[in-house]
Amino acid sequence: MFNLAMARFLLTRLAALVGLLLVLSLLLFVLQEISGADPVAASMPHAEKSAIDAKRHELGLDDPAPTRYVRYVGDLLHLDLGTSFRTHHAVTTDLKTYLPPTVELVVVALVVALALALLFSVSSVLRWPGSGLYRGLLFVGSTTPTFLLGIFGLIVFYQDLGWLPASGQVDDPDTVPASWHWLLLDSLVHGDLGMFGDVAKHLVMPALALAIGPALAIGRIFRSSIVATFDSDFVRTARSKGLAEGAVLTRHVLRNSVNGALSMTGLHLGFMFAGVLVVESVFSRPGLGSYLGASLDVSDFPAVAGVTFVLATIYIVTNTVVDILQGIADPRITV
Amino acid sequence: MSTSIASTDLATEPVTGRLGRFGRWQVAATRWVNWVIVGVLVALTLVALLAPVIAPYDPVQPVGAPYLPVGSSGHLLGTDNIGRDLFSRVILGVRTSWLMALVVVAVGLLIGGVVGVVAGAFGGWVDAILMRITDMFLALPAAIVAIAVAAALGPGLRNTFLAITVVWWPYYARIIRGEIRALAARPHVEAARMAGAGRLRIMAKHLLPGVYPTALVTASLDIGAVVLTLASLSFLGLGQSAPAPELGADTSRGMNELLAHWWIPVMPGLAVMVLSLVANLAGDAVRTLMAGRR
Repeated sequence: MFNLAMARFLLTRLAALVGLLLVLSLLLFVLQEISGADPVAASMPHAEKSAIDAKRHELGLDDPAPTRYVRYVGDLLHLDLGTSFRTHHAVTTDLKTYLPPTVELVVVALVVALALALLFSVSSVLRWPGSGLYRGLLFVGSTTPTFLLGIFGLIVFYQDLGWLPASGQVDDPDTVPASWHWLLLDSLVHGDLGMFGDVAKHLVMPALALAIGPALAIGRIFRSSIVATFDSDFVRTARSKGLAEGAVLTRHVLRNSVNGALSMTGLHLGFMFAGVLVVESVFSRPGLGSYLGASLDVSDFPAVAGVTFVLATIYIVTNTVVDILQGIADPRITV
Repeated sequence: MSTSIASTDLATEPVTGRLGRFGRWQVAATRWVNWVIVGVLVALTLVALLAPVIAPYDPVQPVGAPYLPVGSSGHLLGTDNIGRDLFSRVILGVRTSWLMALVVVAVGLLIGGVVGVVAGAFGGWVDAILMRITDMFLALPAAIVAIAVAAALGPGLRNTFLAITVVWWPYYARIIRGEIRALAARPHVEAARMAGAGRLRIMAKHLLPGVYPTALVTASLDIGAVVLTLASLSFLGLGQSAPAPELGADTSRGMNELLAHWWIPVMPGLAVMVLSLVANLAGDAVRTLMAGRR
């Protein structure tokens, strides 16, 4: 497996990863220039213009753009994302508070999305009475905006049925130990099952609202590769040697249909990072969504750039990992 | 954004060579249904264009009692917290969202088309450079980049439009470039080159016409995704500023009223869904009709 082709494949993927991160930093640098955001003027609101200029010179903000870009990349390497105009904290410090709830929600939603994708694809391949209507429903679901799914969820499961909470991460935020950032993980690690259940209950609706769109898209790709795989020769062989239809599906068809669904999953992770911001706003959950929303309201560009940088980096790294996994799963890709 | 969010692949049968139980009649009926769906798309565009005439009231002024429910006389979709007519707001919001989605797709197709045609027709280092740039854009999470661009440019619908357009063209460039490369290898292009036709003439007369069907199908499948992205960005506060009507922003602002007066956020949200549904159905209809022609 670890031959020359594989080594070259890994190297090119890693080089592409570094290149992309550089492009991302250049993009954010250019956007920061365009935005005209001035950290000095923002931090010294009542100062004289000459004082501001002196401070700018001291910080090197009047250097030529290439010099500042190099310094910007250096700062990024030290995880220095600048200072938020709004909170006056380092953006990195703010992110440490707001990133964990968002990542927990996305990871749970991703797992839910994959499970639903499998369910949707297999159930829509099979024919049963009402399957046409069912497929129509799936289609309508795929055109529904995320926030509307959230709104329907709130009306049905919170207002009408009273099964699930409407907002927040837990019933009473004051009961959460201050050192816990990853609520789902920390409550489990500390064996606090009551808290774990509470956190999980608050995750159900947001995770579902976030998962349904990607689940339908991934399921659709998965379904078409299942349909295509059913026509292939090795499936005919499997059938003719007397395998039951269920065994053909699980042992031969599904395993050979995973690849397209995998790359679709990587792609949809990007949509989920945008969707999670919307979902957090619908369910008033603390996280990057609320942080970004508050930052957007006051044009706090360093904060927005920080959120963008972190989410885009996670996206790029994940997609590289997916790429490499696909290469390992199917060595033909590496050639 | 390399795929539209939705497509009827889950809803329709896979295309098999044989005809169904009703044979030719079924084919004719399918064609008819598809034309009707395309008709709905055209009608929707007309509604968007004529929205100021259709809307019964001024969308930004209070015109009735606040919190009138859906189905009130004179206010079909009810009124909001300060008594503005929701039907008028939704119709004008549809105008904004729909026309903007069409323009984003058209501009994206234009930029992506030029990049794709030039890259595909010239080949060599031009192709390599243009496609590396395109790939870079494709490898970044489009929606997140759009948020950063819109934030840097400042609030306002025009900037949201620019932000989405910036991230939307690379996908078209890839598809069109691929199509051009495939066409360039075909005998009729070879023949034109042998006959001494110049590069520009080959591009305009022999390559470009072959791209239109693919471009049309791709674009029409994409409108729904643009509608959804646009609505999400303006739901986050990157879009139309108050008090002008806009579907995503209106849904977001109505969220406080959800539990007591559900129609205030639900009506503009439903309008987004209807737009995206019509766009996706029409996209599939266009694809089916075009496939039938070839």
